[in-house]
Amino acid sequence: MCGIIGYIGSKKAQPILLNCLSKLEYRGYDSCGIAVMSSGIEVYKDAVRVKVLSKAAPELDGTIGIGHTRWATHGEPSRQNAHPHCDCTGRIAVVHNGTITNFHKLREQLAAEGHILASQTDTEVLPHLIEKYYDGDFARAVELVLEEVEGAYTMIAMMTGEPRLVAARKDSPLIIGIGDRENYIASDVPALLDYTSRVIYLEDGDIAVVTADDISLKNAGAPITREEHKILWSVEDAQKGGYEHFMLKEIHEQPKVIRDTLAEYLSQYISSAKKAADLTRGGGLEDVLILASGTSYHAGLVGKYIIEGLLKVPVRVELASEYIYSGQASARNKAIVITQSGETLDALKAIKRLKEAGSRVIALTNVVGSTASRVADETVYTRAGPEISVAATKTFIAQLIALYWMAVPYARADVRRPGDLVLELRQLPGKVQQILDNQTVIAEMARQIEKFDHVFYVGRGISYPVALEGALKLKEISYIHAEGYASGELKHGPYALLGSQSPVVAVVTQDNTYEATTTSIKEIKARKSPVLAVVGEGDETMADLADSVVTVPHTDPLFSPVVNVIVLQLLAYYAAKERGCPIDFPRNLAKTLTVE
Amino acid sequence: MKQAVILAAGEGQRLRPFTLNRPKAMLSIADKPILQYIIEALAQNGIRNIVLTVGYRKEQVYDYFGSGERCGVNITYVTQVPQLGTAHALWQARDCVDDEFLVLSGDNLIEAPTIAAFVQVKPSGLLVKRVENPNRYGVVNIEGGEVRDIAEKPAEAKSNLVNTGIYAFTKDVFKFMEDVLDIPDALNNMLAADQPITARETDGTWLDVVYPWDIISLNEAVLKNIGVSLGGTIETGVSLRGNVVVGADSIVRSGSCIYGPVVIGSGCDIGPQVCIMPATSIGDNVTLSPFSEIRNSVIGDDVAIGPGSIVSDSVIDKGCVLKGRFTALGGPSEVRVNGESPTLNVGVIMGEECQVDGNVTAQPGVIIGNYCQVQMMKTLSGRIPDRSLVY
Repeated sequence: MCGIIGYIGSKKAQPILLNCLSKLEYRGYDSCGIAVMSSGIEVYKDAVRVKVLSKAAPELDGTIGIGHTRWATHGEPSRQNAHPHCDCTGRIAVVHNGTITNFHKLREQLAAEGHILASQTDTEVLPHLIEKYYDGDFARAVELVLEEVEGAYTMIAMMTGEPRLVAARKDSPLIIGIGDRENYIASDVPALLDYTSRVIYLEDGDIAVVTADDISLKNAGAPITREEHKILWSVEDAQKGGYEHFMLKEIHEQPKVIRDTLAEYLSQYISSAKKAADLTRGGGLEDVLILASGTSYHAGLVGKYIIEGLLKVPVRVELASEYIYSGQASARNKAIVITQSGETLDALKAIKRLKEAGSRVIALTNVVGSTASRVADETVYTRAGPEISVAATKTFIAQLIALYWMAVPYARADVRRPGDLVLELRQLPGKVQQILDNQTVIAEMARQIEKFDHVFYVGRGISYPVALEGALKLKEISYIHAEGYASGELKHGPYALLGSQSPVVAVVTQDNTYEATTTSIKEIKARKSPVLAVVGEGDETMADLADSVVTVPHTDPLFSPVVNVIVLQLLAYYAAKERGCPIDFPRNLAKTLTVE
Repeated sequence: MKQAVILAAGEGQRLRPFTLNRPKAMLSIADKPILQYIIEALAQNGIRNIVLTVGYRKEQVYDYFGSGERCGVNITYVTQVPQLGTAHALWQARDCVDDEFLVLSGDNLIEAPTIAAFVQVKPSGLLVKRVENPNRYGVVNIEGGEVRDIAEKPAEAKSNLVNTGIYAFTKDVFKFMEDVLDIPDALNNMLAADQPITARETDGTWLDVVYPWDIISLNEAVLKNIGVSLGGTIETGVSLRGNVVVGADSIVRSGSCIYGPVVIGSGCDIGPQVCIMPATSIGDNVTLSPFSEIRNSVIGDDVAIGPGSIVSDSVIDKGCVLKGRFTALGGPSEVRVNGESPTLNVGVIMGEECQVDGNVTAQPGVIIGNYCQVQMMKTLSGRIPDRSLVY
């Protein structure tokens, strides 16, 4: 998915383009760019987010411009591959959303005719073809080009000396926003809502020639008119597909994320084309080092239990920000660096240090072609799609699935049968959906904790990192002070804080930790703290012991973090909602930390 | 006509167990929800501005359709709580509509030709269809191409033309809706005020699901029109015949036979040695283990069917795990509905997330609720409620 934008009028184009692009970031944000026309066309683009581009871009003069924001699924995001793309002369610029299926043939033809193509993208053939066909009529040249192009080609083109934008729609959406002596073109309505509520929806095959005060449309060579629509919804509704917040939308996407991620890994595994990070490859796996920060660090801690449990090798998990000052690495290490964005500075520094020590580094990231993937030896991608909410949810789940996949198919035969585990993994989407289908009980529990100032989260074994993640979610979006603790550690200090005003959320797994956890909860109850427990199906003991419980579907204890964390995400969400917090954009926090 | 309002808030009580967690419009037929057929039919007729009224289990609609990306349309959502009737549902959308708009029911599966002529009708208009047994629908009495009256489920039908629930309206329709809950009553108000309503007949697809077993015949009807498209990995030694669709990242292992029409979703692991016989739809992330045969059935997402199983004329909803040697042979079975007992050819109707141990046999026509657990060696019959433990 990509987002495109065009502006023509009397205002300066650059700030409008950048603002519109920021509204289209839900369609992708791994690279972006703008082109503005004054006496000639000036392009500024890079593999960065719109916010960064906005700061870095030089001031471009001109009142006509186009812009693009990209989410790569194939081919890495780089400055070269970012849009807009230009022709040989730099007089024509194009932004494009879709895939041109016959671009190999077109490229070869163009190259044979002496055109110099600078990027790897299919899009670049468009400006060169326009250059080829241009003989004084810009709009006609675009029409001729589109006759030659196959595939999806929603695009906007502009040309030096031509006071107009030419746009076309095929397969991907495109709308025209009507302003007062100015017009806009965009992939989607939200981009334009700051400027106009009058729009025209283009249909497949439409070609539009847009000037500051005129819009003319053609389809199949004949002039047509399309009705004007008035938009009544707000920016927020548009992108959230019905939901009130991105966070809730992304929580609900998790069954699909698990399905997609597993499908891809399974198909790679079976076809043996490229095995998704087989930790055991090359033999002699002696120890594993996992480095990460924030939520990714919690995924890493779950990874420790997975890998140690199934592969029987010691795993060390460290915070990337600490490791870069004091960590020890050696050539014996196999290292996994987890970074959602692939751009977190601490993670990148850690990779550098590991490489210097001779370790093999696997990057686990959600962004194709990110810096982490370029500097690591191998990359495993999570297939979570763009995550807008600052609080990570679906990317955490995708990281867990990736970590399972690094160990499950290679589980030592004397430990577990990989086939059984794979089958159990494939049942997880349905189990997560069950929790989502029955979330009113979690919203109810959230009403119980939202009135407190302090909440403790406890877990033992593989549920310990789940408790840490639950506490992090609560503090970052609801601003309630929350602390995650290993159940056994409460007695070493925090007991002093327990009481009727400090509830405890306990994550209880039916494995070898169950009895010890039961004992801990009894001790907590003795100190008058309300206990809210997340328990497995059929756990009657805990239902009697705790003040309230949320039951999760039964799964193997090894996979319990996947179901348990969903409950804690929703708990944090509803607590924050009760408190009226700005859930998607909590104060003082940013999605990607490119600072130390 | 550039806009359509689709009423998709309804629960579909009679379709239990499948509507515990999803609205009727989200029932999957040939690997797509009914609602998607409607949206695609509209998009193909140039209507891409869609207002969806949602209510019961609306999150399922949000999660699947989002803002409309999947179908290349723009979707605006309005909620209807509680669900009091079709006019009440349309009333919720009154602030989002253009001057002219279509109204469709999210429950009836249609295709692009069904409405191709109707989108040109000047409002107000009503699309009707000729059916054999009109008595369970709104029967429309037409004179000179205009609607005379509509009789809801009459004991004696005056004609075979029934209301499809597809209308063309202007904003004026809201003036006739102040005191009614259902759209046909609003139409009768319009007729009483001498407002003409054009009637158009369609001979295109218009299919209704009323009871759970209707899914099987509907699936068969829709599968007749699928093409061929093979994604994923098809190993050597797989026999394919007829029209077969296999989604991305699925694997069909050696020795398997797939005789179309069959549609298989993405991320499935099938075989080796599995037979999938005609008129079968299989969802995403499904595991079918060796020596199993699936025939004329609908299998939901995430289902795992263990080795040596036979599933015929059945619907198995998402997330069910059948450990192995499960048998649902299908056959004539008597179902009791509204005092009638028609004989149908049905295997098993199984709700979501059931866990079934080895060597279980389902007698023809058994209906198993959601979240049931069945221990090994059982024979299932009759109706088994949600969350039952069969031991």
